[in-house]
Amino acid sequence: MTGARRVAVVLCCAVVAAWVFAGESPSKTTGQAATKHTASAIQVMAIQSKEVKLPAQFEMALYENLIEQIERSKRFQHVYRDGDETAAGAPDLVTLSSTVWGFQEGSAMKRQVTTVSGKTSIKVNVQVADRQGKVLVNRDVEGKVRFLGENLRATYDFGKKVVAALDENFVAAK
Amino acid sequence: MLPRMLATLLAFLCLWPGAVAAQEKQEKDAPVGVTHVLGFEAIKRNAKGKLSLQGGMLHFQAGMTQADLPVKSIQDVVTGVDSRRLIGGPVGTMTMLAPYGSGRFLSLFREKIDVLTLAYRDASGGLHGAIFTLPEGKAKAMKEQLVAMGVHSSTPEEPAKAEAGKEKKQ
Repeated sequence: MTGARRVAVVLCCAVVAAWVFAGESPSKTTGQAATKHTASAIQVMAIQSKEVKLPAQFEMALYENLIEQIERSKRFQHVYRDGDETAAGAPDLVTLSSTVWGFQEGSAMKRQVTTVSGKTSIKVNVQVADRQGKVLVNRDVEGKVRFLGENLRATYDFGKKVVAALDENFVAAK
Repeated sequence: MLPRMLATLLAFLCLWPGAVAAQEKQEKDAPVGVTHVLGFEAIKRNAKGKLSLQGGMLHFQAGMTQADLPVKSIQDVVTGVDSRRLIGGPVGTMTMLAPYGSGRFLSLFREKIDVLTLAYRDASGGLHGAIFTLPEGKAKAMKEQLVAMGVHSSTPEEPAKAEAGKEKKQ
C-alpha cells in the first residue's frame, strides 16, 4: 500500500514539474523577444489582386477587416490607410502590402447543407517592410470559411491571422 | 367630335413618354433599402437602412444614425451578385440545431442579392471601402446614377457571375 502511495506521489510530482516547466514557454525567453521588431505606425496598402481576379467586395472586405483587426490589436499606435498623406510624418513607419495569389469562392449553401464542402479560401502573400524597403515579415496567409458564415467571412479570418503574424514579429506599442 | 378625340389622343401620346420618364426618374431617386455590410465608420455592420443620392452626397440612414459621403470622393463603384439565406442572423444559426436536418433543409432557401462596392478617399487621402447589399436588380440603377455623376466604374459592363469552386493559382 505504501509502495503504491509512493509511486502516486512521485507521479504527481512529475506531472506538476512538467506543467511548471511547460509554463515557461519560449515566448517568455529574452532570446525571442530580441528578434521582434519595433514600429509605432503601420500603413496598410490596398490589396493587390492583378494576377488572380478577386471580386471587388472581397478585395475591399480584406482591406477593411485587416485595418479593423490591426487597430483592435493595439499593436501599433497609428494605423494609416493606403494613400494617407499624414503617414509621411510617422518616424518608424512600416508598410503592410498584401498580394492575392489564390482564390476559391465556395458556396455558403453547400457548407450549410453538407458541412464538408463549399469552403471559401483566399490565399494572400503578406509583406511588412520598413522605410528603406527591407522586408521584415514575409508570409503566406490563408483566410477561409469552412462551416458557418457567408463567403465574406473568409476576409475576417484573414485579418485575424495577419494580426497573429504581426503579434509574433512586433513588440506592442507603448 | 372626331377631331377633338384625335387631338386628345395625340396630346396623350405626346405626354406619355414624358410622364413615364418622370416616373422612372422619381423611382431612381427614391431611397433604396440596403444592408450596410461594412465601411462606414459611424454605422454598425449589417445595419439596415436607406441609401439615396441627395445634392451630390451619398446619404445612408439607419434609424437615428446617418452617414454622408461626397460623391466626388468616390473613386470606384462596382456591382456584383451574391445570395443569402432567407432565414438569416441568430435565428438562422439557431435553425442549424433543429432536429432531423431541418435546419440544413432551410439553408436551401436563399434569395439573390446585389452587392454594391465603393472605394473612396477621406480628407487626408486615405482609402476606404464600403459594401452594401441591395435587393436584386437595384444595384445597377444606383451604379448608373453614380456613373452619371462622374464616378469611375472599373466594371462598366455587367459583371459576370464569379466562377464558383474553381481555384485560380499563379
